[in-house]
Amino acid sequence: MLDDVASSAVRVALKGLAQRQRVIADNIANVETPRFLAGRVQFEDALRTAVEDGTSPQEVTPEVARSLEPTRENGNNVNLDHETLTHMDTVLRYQTMLKALDSKYSLLRSVIRGGA
Amino acid sequence: MSGGPFRAIGIASTGVTVYRKWLDAVSDNISNLNNATTTAGEAFRERFVIAQAVDYGSGNGGVQVGGIELGSAEGRLVHEPDHPLADENGYVRYPDIDLGSQMSQLMMAQRGYQANLSVVDRAYDAYQAALQLGRNS
Repeated sequence: MLDDVASSAVRVALKGLAQRQRVIADNIANVETPRFLAGRVQFEDALRTAVEDGTSPQEVTPEVARSLEPTRENGNNVNLDHETLTHMDTVLRYQTMLKALDSKYSLLRSVIRGGA
Repeated sequence: MSGGPFRAIGIASTGVTVYRKWLDAVSDNISNLNNATTTAGEAFRERFVIAQAVDYGSGNGGVQVGGIELGSAEGRLVHEPDHPLADENGYVRYPDIDLGSQMSQLMMAQRGYQANLSVVDRAYDAYQAALQLGRNS
């Protein structure tokens, strides 16, 4: 019941978004660190492919890559505006995924109670 | 707060700490801007905070103060014959600190401090939402 594709996909998304939040926090903490390249978390494409191909979304793991955007004089390429907006977006996506999971649990709870 | 389920807040707090120290260093530099010394002594040396990523590449290490660099001890010599510390030629030594550069560093440090605090704010909302999971029936 809880390892259906939808629930697994939502859980993988939550995991990836939580990691993205940590990486953004790391980027902002290092906004003035010399030679620091911003981290980027990728999992959406892999997740989409897994869902489309019918393979298990649980196999998808978020990947952290380093941004190759041009750096400032100190070798740092963290863009505070971009990180702030991405963080807001990530938090909202995270909350959306939580709502989706919550609906799933409500459905289950309703079944357990026999619709009462 | 170094690990655990609320890691994003811990990471942001490392940023807050580093910027706090940077603010401290800048205010120390500015408050010692006009420290006169004798020409025989060293001038006040300005402090530069060096930020360093913790566990670079892991994406969740945060930041730390990697070290402090000191400015020149030579400073600049000023002709002030009436100064109590003046040498026989009438010179005293002042630190060679540029107030303009200190002020812009102050703004950078303050901006970084605020950015990290707003990360705490947003991460708090996300974690609060996660704690509500399963509450609505």
